[in-house]
Amino acid sequence: MTSVKFSVNQLTVYYAIKMGMQNVSMDINDRQITALIGASGCGKSTFLRCLNRMNDLIHVAKVSRCTWDEANKAFVPTADATGAVLMDGDDIYAPTVDAVELRQKVGMVFQKPNPFPKSIYDNVAYGPRIHGLAGTQDELDQIVEESLTKAGLWTEVNDRLKQPGTSLSGGQQQRLCIARAIAAGPEVVLMDEPCSALDPIATGIIEELMGELKKDYTIVIVTHSMSQARRVSDRTSFFHLGELVEMNDTEQLFDNPENDQTKGFISGRFG
Amino acid sequence: MTLSQEALKRRAKRRTAETRFRSYGIIALGIAGAMLLTLFFTVFTTGISAFWRHEALIEFQLTEKRMKIDPTASYSDADYEKLARSAPYNLIVKDAMYALFPDVKKRKHKKHLGKMISYGAEIALRNAVLKGKAHVGDNFKLWVPVSDDLDTFLKGYIDASLPEKKRRVKDNEIEWVHKLQDNKLIRSSFDWGFFTRADSREPEMAGMGGAIKGSFYLLLVTFLLSVPIGVMAAIYLEEFARQNKFTDFIEININNLAAVPSIIFGLLGLAMFLNFLGFPRSAPLVGGMVLSLMTLPTVIIASRNAIAAVPPTLREAAIGLGASPMQTVLHHVLPVALPGILTGTILGLARALGETAPLIMIGMVAFIASVPDSIVDPSSALPVQIFLWVDSPERAFVAKSNAAIMVMLGFLLVMNGTAAYLRHRAEER
Repeated sequence: MTSVKFSVNQLTVYYAIKMGMQNVSMDINDRQITALIGASGCGKSTFLRCLNRMNDLIHVAKVSRCTWDEANKAFVPTADATGAVLMDGDDIYAPTVDAVELRQKVGMVFQKPNPFPKSIYDNVAYGPRIHGLAGTQDELDQIVEESLTKAGLWTEVNDRLKQPGTSLSGGQQQRLCIARAIAAGPEVVLMDEPCSALDPIATGIIEELMGELKKDYTIVIVTHSMSQARRVSDRTSFFHLGELVEMNDTEQLFDNPENDQTKGFISGRFG
Repeated sequence: MTLSQEALKRRAKRRTAETRFRSYGIIALGIAGAMLLTLFFTVFTTGISAFWRHEALIEFQLTEKRMKIDPTASYSDADYEKLARSAPYNLIVKDAMYALFPDVKKRKHKKHLGKMISYGAEIALRNAVLKGKAHVGDNFKLWVPVSDDLDTFLKGYIDASLPEKKRRVKDNEIEWVHKLQDNKLIRSSFDWGFFTRADSREPEMAGMGGAIKGSFYLLLVTFLLSVPIGVMAAIYLEEFARQNKFTDFIEININNLAAVPSIIFGLLGLAMFLNFLGFPRSAPLVGGMVLSLMTLPTVIIASRNAIAAVPPTLREAAIGLGASPMQTVLHHVLPVALPGILTGTILGLARALGETAPLIMIGMVAFIASVPDSIVDPSSALPVQIFLWVDSPERAFVAKSNAAIMVMLGFLLVMNGTAAYLRHRAEER
């Protein structure tokens, strides 16, 4: 039986006065892959960045809940985001929550591979170091090896850990970023179009990897490739113009979309 | 392809315009290059001779009588040193000169004879005695500097064919010096002391050691003040401050300050640091404070540009791993931005090194005949030293000031070279 990792309620994001995403409610299951699809600018990346509070860093971004205003017949954002996102039942937007600590538990992999301009070893060891996960050098070595192994990179780089991470190929760099993210000991890994800068072979390797990783981690992936969403994810949600249109088991959503917009998007008629 | 008559005409016109445009660029480059070359050539040819000076080998007679030391008395070490220090070395030098030319009897001529040797000879002789190289009662041979007039003559800057009245070196002096030369008692040697001695009214004894050390202290104070403050300000503005009217206002002011004439900063230093806070006059401490005021905007702007150029994906990566904003800046942003920050800082410091006007305002233009030992000692600085020497009437100071310009250009070259090297290394990464 799957349990719910994230419970999102009426989540709304405004960039200054421009609506980024409105009234999104969904449950994200533990140890499953949830795919977010939709056209560019539909709010799926914005949604993803709410889950580890990366939007806090954008000064103009305002994360909140919304309520239905009967008089104006519209959703209006409330003052703050309290209760908008629950992780394991705990409110991650509560004033007592430290966003820095949250981000250790909710790791992130970005669209473009962005290894630090440091050695492969230091890239992976950075998370454990700043969070004090390893007491000794041996423990650190072990975490680095485990993470690189999980990311399927260990056999390729174990003899050149001292080389800069930027010397790897694009696909390897992205796997290094995955290794770096899981080395920090997260429970959730957010992936923002992780394969859009990669060739099909590297994409295939990463997709395979995600299948392995979901045994240990909850994965939320934003993707532009509907075939990728179909291949890797357990559940898929379709966003359109800042709103969640439909969310369902992946097979169900692609084979039997309930909404006409979803149907149009997955059949390639727009988007 | 056949072209109409008009099209061919247009083509010819276009090509001439193209050639003309390029030749403008080449002409502009040529003019700039020629000016630079002329500058370097004049400075080099006038200044190079100042690195050498002529010395004469003179035998001094350190008789007890002249030294005013009683051979029969027994002195304590301290008393003996005091006597050795205060002995009338000027008379010993004159005696040695008279002994070289025993034929010279006339008082006026003897005066000329005594004038041929620099007072640096007395200092050299005293040092030799104090260090135990020369012994009282013995004769002692030593290469000592000749006077600046004679040195100028020996370097060929005084025309012997001019009537005697119009020359600072008289006929008899020329005759004597030729005699010394015939006996191989005159040599030209590289003057290392030029880099270590302090300024002096006597050109042959004037060195730029005081100015070099003063400029070093100035830059040290400037560096220690402007880099931490400038970099912290840049980090705050770039990484933490919100973009609003207040930060816009600060930004405009920083850009304006970078364009304020340096003498204004000097006036501020005079009013604030000297008159209000009562800091010592002519000291590198105050000079450095004034120069760091002047350098700060440059450092802030350069650092902000360097920090802004760090890819935002790097920050996201660190933040996404749970790094705090401070960790993100210290571990990831600063290391990447450092070459850029250093480049800007060095260029700012190079500008500070050549700055004269603000130093004049806080009294660093004074004649300082000692090398400073700390940042609160009165001191000179390289550009001020050049200014002072250019202002001096003696012929020998012309070469000196050009030599000082060469030394300063050398320092600037090294600093700018370092900046270029750092930039190059940053680009390679």
